[in-house]
Amino acid sequence: MNPILRKLSRDLPAMLGLFIVVVVLLVALFGPWLAPYPGDASASHLLQRLKPPSEKFPFGTDNLGRDIFSRVILGARGALAISLTVVGVAMLVGVPLGLVAGYRGGWVSETIMRVTDVVLAIPQLVLALALAQLMKPSIESAMLALSLTYWPFFTRIVFAETRRLSSSMFVDALRGVGAGPFRIVFLHILPNALSPVIVRATIGLGFTILVAAVLGFLGMGASPPTPDWGLAIADSRLYLPRAWWYATFPGLAILITVMGFNLLGDGLRDLVDPRLRRSR
Amino acid sequence: MTSKLTRRQVGGLAAGALVAGALPPSARAADTTTLVSGFQLPQNLDPHQVYDVPMQAMMLNTYDNLYRYQDDPPVIEPWLAESHTVSDDGLTWEFKLRPGIKFHDGSAMTAEDVVYSFQRMLALALGPAGAFLKILKPENVTAPVPLTVRFKLETSYAPFFAAIPSVCIVNPRVVKAHEKDGDWGKTYVASNDAGSGPYKIVSEGYRPLEYLDMEIFDDHFLGWKHNPKPVRKIAGRPTKETSTRVLALVNGTLDWTDGNLPADQVDQINASKVAYVQKDVVMKTFVVRMNNKKAPFDNINVRKAFAHAFNYEGFIKEILAGYATRDPYPQPDTLWGIPKDVKGYDYDLAKAKEYLAKAVAEGAQIKRPIEIHVQSENEQSVQGAQLFQSDLAQIGLNVKVVGNIWSNLTSSTAKPETTPDMWVHWVSTYFVDPENWVGQMYDSQFHGTWKASSWYKNDEVDKLLRKARGLVKQEERAPLYEAATRQIMADCPDVWIYNSMQLQGINKRVKGRRFCTVGQGAEVRWVTLEG
Amino acid sequence: MARFVLRRCGLVLPSLLGLLIITFLLIHAVPSDPAAAMAGDAATPEQIARIRAQYGLDQPMWRQFLVYIAKVVQLDFGESAFSHRPVALDIFQRLPATLELTFCSLVLSIGLGVPLGVVSALKHNAWPDYLLRIFSVMGIAVAAFWFAIMLQLLFAMNLAWLPLRGDLSSTMTRPPAITHFLVLDAVLAGRWDVFGDALRHLVLPSITLGLGGLATIVRFTRAGVLDTLQQDFVFYERAMGYRRMRLIWVFILRNSVTATVTQIGLLFGGLIAGAVVVESIFDWPGIGSYTVNAILTGDKQVMLAVTLLVGAIYAGVNILVDVVHGMLDPRLMDRA
Repeated sequence: MNPILRKLSRDLPAMLGLFIVVVVLLVALFGPWLAPYPGDASASHLLQRLKPPSEKFPFGTDNLGRDIFSRVILGARGALAISLTVVGVAMLVGVPLGLVAGYRGGWVSETIMRVTDVVLAIPQLVLALALAQLMKPSIESAMLALSLTYWPFFTRIVFAETRRLSSSMFVDALRGVGAGPFRIVFLHILPNALSPVIVRATIGLGFTILVAAVLGFLGMGASPPTPDWGLAIADSRLYLPRAWWYATFPGLAILITVMGFNLLGDGLRDLVDPRLRRSR
Repeated sequence: MTSKLTRRQVGGLAAGALVAGALPPSARAADTTTLVSGFQLPQNLDPHQVYDVPMQAMMLNTYDNLYRYQDDPPVIEPWLAESHTVSDDGLTWEFKLRPGIKFHDGSAMTAEDVVYSFQRMLALALGPAGAFLKILKPENVTAPVPLTVRFKLETSYAPFFAAIPSVCIVNPRVVKAHEKDGDWGKTYVASNDAGSGPYKIVSEGYRPLEYLDMEIFDDHFLGWKHNPKPVRKIAGRPTKETSTRVLALVNGTLDWTDGNLPADQVDQINASKVAYVQKDVVMKTFVVRMNNKKAPFDNINVRKAFAHAFNYEGFIKEILAGYATRDPYPQPDTLWGIPKDVKGYDYDLAKAKEYLAKAVAEGAQIKRPIEIHVQSENEQSVQGAQLFQSDLAQIGLNVKVVGNIWSNLTSSTAKPETTPDMWVHWVSTYFVDPENWVGQMYDSQFHGTWKASSWYKNDEVDKLLRKARGLVKQEERAPLYEAATRQIMADCPDVWIYNSMQLQGINKRVKGRRFCTVGQGAEVRWVTLEG
Repeated sequence: MARFVLRRCGLVLPSLLGLLIITFLLIHAVPSDPAAAMAGDAATPEQIARIRAQYGLDQPMWRQFLVYIAKVVQLDFGESAFSHRPVALDIFQRLPATLELTFCSLVLSIGLGVPLGVVSALKHNAWPDYLLRIFSVMGIAVAAFWFAIMLQLLFAMNLAWLPLRGDLSSTMTRPPAITHFLVLDAVLAGRWDVFGDALRHLVLPSITLGLGGLATIVRFTRAGVLDTLQQDFVFYERAMGYRRMRLIWVFILRNSVTATVTQIGLLFGGLIAGAVVVESIFDWPGIGSYTVNAILTGDKQVMLAVTLLVGAIYAGVNILVDVVHGMLDPRLMDRA
């Protein structure tokens, strides 16, 4: 077995995180087959509104009589889809920019890093909320808004790594044997800069699920009847304190999922660079 | 945690709050001079800039109008004006002002002040001005003799009188003193008092969105003889969140909520010893709009299929717990001008399928996903849309619920291409007249405004509505509106769902409340606090 | 020292300008008509056109931008499309409430976080450490809005120990606004009833807002203390017979202060963003609920002003952090 994997397998919290992530992935993939009432993604049953948890409905029913357990299961796919897309797009934008800025230097690098700093100074949540709202609230706007505010994190990391690597001996040696910049950057620098990016991405996945839930909660993400966790919590407020189950279970789903990504991310970070201690 | 808050628990909640020292007990029940009101605050306090339901609730206490709606069903009564006359051609209106009316600063109200108020309203061209801009020029509001105000209209327009109660009279001496660069004192009046009403705003008593404190105006022109023990202070404490409102009401820290209590909370409040829920039928219709200029809604059979696919009874009975009345007409069924013999559309999926099949045979394309836009922050519009979506799915239609906000929706209705396929909204009482509903919703001259966003056009209907608008006498206008409504309902441009019942939570110590659909019974001058 | 501070401030100005440009472009690139919003429910198309001209909304975008910059320099942020009140006035009145809340949560995160972190490190791999580690992982992973609702459900609705919303009970009269900080104003007016009531209202929102920071600080303090414990000089000092507790307080904490200061700088940005959610749930009369209200109604002027304000606060805090760093470690000043 790969020594890195072996080390990871001894890190109990990281393994717990990995377990949660795998379960959430499976639930997201096979949700419609796992949920007892997959039709409750859109159907409503007026006669069984706001029933407390029972054998029939383990998490109770919501304001339109839909099974909350099913909707929590079905919500996993949306949550993962949003966070994977956002982190993916942010990486696609952020990583190349970081590579260019780090390798090229000069005014190009200066411009890119300045813009990065400015975007980092924008309060992410506020801007994402404003954009999502103005573009007509929907999942797509929410994803775009989050991607637009998340890429600089990757640019920063890749920039620092590229800077470090491109002044290293082996890149000098490569230049010496006549390797082109394209080859150097993509075949030699990028693979070496990848591990901090992966760590950041793992934690970013959890973080994005949280922010996306906030958007859904404030009515600026998924629109009904989509089974979205944040949206469900927002809807539930109207029925408190009576229907406590309505708010509780979707929130627990968010908590466990995000915790899974964070634990895994922490574990990976300790492997890659025990000194690297960035938050979020 | 339990599923339902029982009576004992509610008592426990209150007791718990006392033990924990939430408030000194005396601050609660003993103060029978302060009313804590949970009505939403208007976006700002200037009645010439804002005209919506929260503003009505505020201005009825702080400002006065020439005429005012009272009671239920609403009757328009002389207020600042003693009487009025109208010329035979319906163009010249004269209002005679009462003598001896005082503003809050003690100065006397003159006819010139009324003229100033109308001119200011027209110049700002916001809020209530919509009803007047086309028919009234500022220079045609005059005061020919003291205590008489004359209006010369451009065209005869019956709803003019119905809209008179929407215009507040402001004190020009206060406004002018705070004018900046000819802004008509806009910034000042937005946060301060310039009125003559029964209550005045205390200094530093206003923080936007948060609170509004008012105290009694002893010199109000109507005097206080009719109410020997009036409320002396109104503490306006808007509470956005339903659970908060309910809790505050049951523990006695809120005397009344606004009229938008969700039906789900009624039992819980009625179970408490402290408060109850008052039900009042108001004139506020709930409607799902269809964009008649966009396929497939340009086909009448598609529209009829949709009208038969809404579960009216289920929505009203289950989600609104019966607190609304099914209203098949485009306007409140309590208003005049309605063809009472017309039945309207019922929930019948079989019929809906038939109409849909007919439409498809005529070549209507029903495969594309249809968007229904809702106001995300409004739970009821979301629930209605979801219910509709779930039933439409059963007859094979693909409908998507899209969350949106009011300001985006109203700007999107400027053009047929940008108007949503369908959207959900209420039409409140801006003035009590069919013009407020059928007039402005289905006369094609209003295309481009949110009220006419179904883009319905029928020349016959246009003719009837325009004729009705130009006449003054209700008995002449009523048959015209009835005929127009009959035709509109046959064309089925929209899905009309219900007329609202407002649910207001009220502390049992509040006595003497007088309800009127305009202002939702927020007029405090009649109220006494017992105990 | 003064030169250092000035130079840091000088660096901030271009980024604030950049922030302004980017937010202005993003917000204005989106088609949504503020004039229609301003005109209100019952507006006619003529009314809307008139307003568009009145506010220069029919001008090209670069023109609107220049006009906006000229106004912002004079601290004029325009007026809200809905309340028609100057945005600057609203911000001035509401900012203290947010600062009060942020301050309380910061005190909570640091006051609890540092000692708990130390405990966690000292009990390394024993049950208090495990508990605290689970707590800190959960504290970061929990959705603040959900946590707030759970707190409300338990402490305000079911147990009725604490108020559900707002910054003051509705039956209390407010003390005269001298500082606009409610707690301070209550003290200045000698209104101890208001003081107590206001503090009780601060509890749940502060806990919610402070939770993420608390968890982060526990983690960092723990890591910092563990690091320091493993360093040579600690072994040496210990060999010299220093008592363990004294060692911890004197050496370890001083060594981890620098790291904590950096964290506080980072946290502050998070706190302001968190305030958006927490304030709207607890109806807190600050900038956060103001922002949410503006976003829900589509009030662009307010959105711009608030984004700029938060950016400026964030930059300001970071300058402060740099200065404190500089004072703790003078070598940094030359490098910057």
